[in-house]
Amino acid sequence: MTYPMTEPAAELAAPFSPCLQDLHDAASRAGLAVSASASWPETGDDGEVTPLAGFIESSFSPLIAQVAVRALERRERPPPDRATATATAIVIVTALGDVTSAARVAAAVDRGERVFPLLFFQSVPNAIAGYLAARWHLTGPVVCVSATSAGLDIAALLIADADADDALVVRVDLAGTSGDSGRAAAILVTGTTSQNNLGTA
Amino acid sequence: MAEQAPAACRGPGTVVLTGVGVLSAFGRGTEALLSGVLSDQPAFGPVQRFDATSRRVRVAAAMPGSPDLLTELDRAVREACDDAALSPGDRAHSPLFLAIHGDPAIGRARPGSPGTGLHGLGSDAFTAEVAGRAGLAAEGFRCYTSACVAASTAIADAAAMIARGRADRVVVAGGYLVDSDQFALFDAGRVLADDGQVRPFSAGRRGLLLGDGVGAVVIESDESARARGARPLARLAGWGRSGDAYHPCQPHPEGHGMARAITAALRRAGIAADDLGYINAHGSGTGQSDPAETNALRLALGDAVADVPVSSTKSLHGQSLEASGVLELIVTLLAVREGMLPVNAGFLGADEACRLNLVLGEPLAAAPQYAMSLNAAFGGANTALVVGLP
Repeated sequence: MTYPMTEPAAELAAPFSPCLQDLHDAASRAGLAVSASASWPETGDDGEVTPLAGFIESSFSPLIAQVAVRALERRERPPPDRATATATAIVIVTALGDVTSAARVAAAVDRGERVFPLLFFQSVPNAIAGYLAARWHLTGPVVCVSATSAGLDIAALLIADADADDALVVRVDLAGTSGDSGRAAAILVTGTTSQNNLGTA
Repeated sequence: MAEQAPAACRGPGTVVLTGVGVLSAFGRGTEALLSGVLSDQPAFGPVQRFDATSRRVRVAAAMPGSPDLLTELDRAVREACDDAALSPGDRAHSPLFLAIHGDPAIGRARPGSPGTGLHGLGSDAFTAEVAGRAGLAAEGFRCYTSACVAASTAIADAAAMIARGRADRVVVAGGYLVDSDQFALFDAGRVLADDGQVRPFSAGRRGLLLGDGVGAVVIESDESARARGARPLARLAGWGRSGDAYHPCQPHPEGHGMARAITAALRRAGIAADDLGYINAHGSGTGQSDPAETNALRLALGDAVADVPVSSTKSLHGQSLEASGVLELIVTLLAVREGMLPVNAGFLGADEACRLNLVLGEPLAAAPQYAMSLNAAFGGANTALVVGLP
């Protein structure tokens, strides 16, 4: 298995960094095949994550978009056209969630200030999932959980039960301190023969 | 019914609900919730839990005082486990799937050195604490944060696992208690109803209102339940999930995604649309969501949509965000077992874009064998759950 990244384990070993290796290992345990993967940062050129229109103040959603788009562009087949689209589930894994946005909201509330309206729209991880789903026509279920193993187990069952043909699983974590844009990794997974023979009724 | 690829399929096991525990603005426990939703009196009132004077809207459905989320989740989980007559040994082998917005402490945590200041916080730590207090399994717990479909997704996942024999029993809980931060966000997003009422599918509807909701359900295989002598409250007959692939926070106006979730749930239940005797709708009371849901129901149910009674009990207990799926499944279960369907409160008049057979005026006496609970969320996420009486 080859990973399209230049600095593997050491680069991803910080306390709150998502780990591409963990995603691959969890996919393997769940009986899933990985068709594409990506992470941030991957190379020294990955400095500041590219901002995303409509998402403000926090790198949480832009990080998810960055690794998701990289993985989607690397998948072994071209994106399906709308007439023959497969259903791709989106599973977002985050241990702490968007701590930057949560802290911004809490600070504004504690000061008795109004909250900037765009923070409402990015207050749940579903929003960036919906952004990706719309751009890439991903019609499978949208799920957000806090642990990698759960995320891959969920993806495996969605595929086995034909809720989805494949799944985009993204792990993202912010460090929770200002100035640290966090890290993310994504894999696209499909079922394997053994995974699909689980006694479909 | 499940042979036609690529339609949704499932494992062969029968999935049952054996216990419930709940809190809403009507009070703690199932009796308070059932009498509340059958009273036709919405639980909305002025927010007193925190200072809302600077907000555009100052109304929610909240219990008196400032209940603590961890304490109330523990109480609801214990109530559900007691209701299911689970022994300490049974509980110790039952994982918890918890639906919450996140660790409530995260927003005001004070990080120390980079990467270490949030140690011990987070959704998993919070979930482990709830599971530990209630004596549930120390491993295999999960935390779902998928907004307003978090709990219903957890329930669907638990059902799918049990149907395939990957688990014998899962306790699913969800919790949201009206709080200053989410209230400020929803107020800033201008989605709260400035007339102080939620009016799903009605002309003149002006938005949603938040409401307290903490719920827990024990989901297990019929085989497991019978082996320990438990009497199922109902079957969790079908479940469906889908994505709209349309917009970050708006539903697909034609309801395509939700229609697929409904169709998958009916298929897994092995029933036809006209077998449904009640639908507890997502019915947020917002301008865009209610017509989209109506279109989804028309797409998925066809002619049967004209007859099946529909109500959104968010018009009574409010929108409980991540907990909505479990609170509203419990409402659906209690209503069907009681033989009384709650009203769709706040109705002012028909909206041509929301033509449904709404339960209006007073609760409807009925004896449905099957009922469906629908939920939708940001990201175009949709869920449908079907309960069937044993």
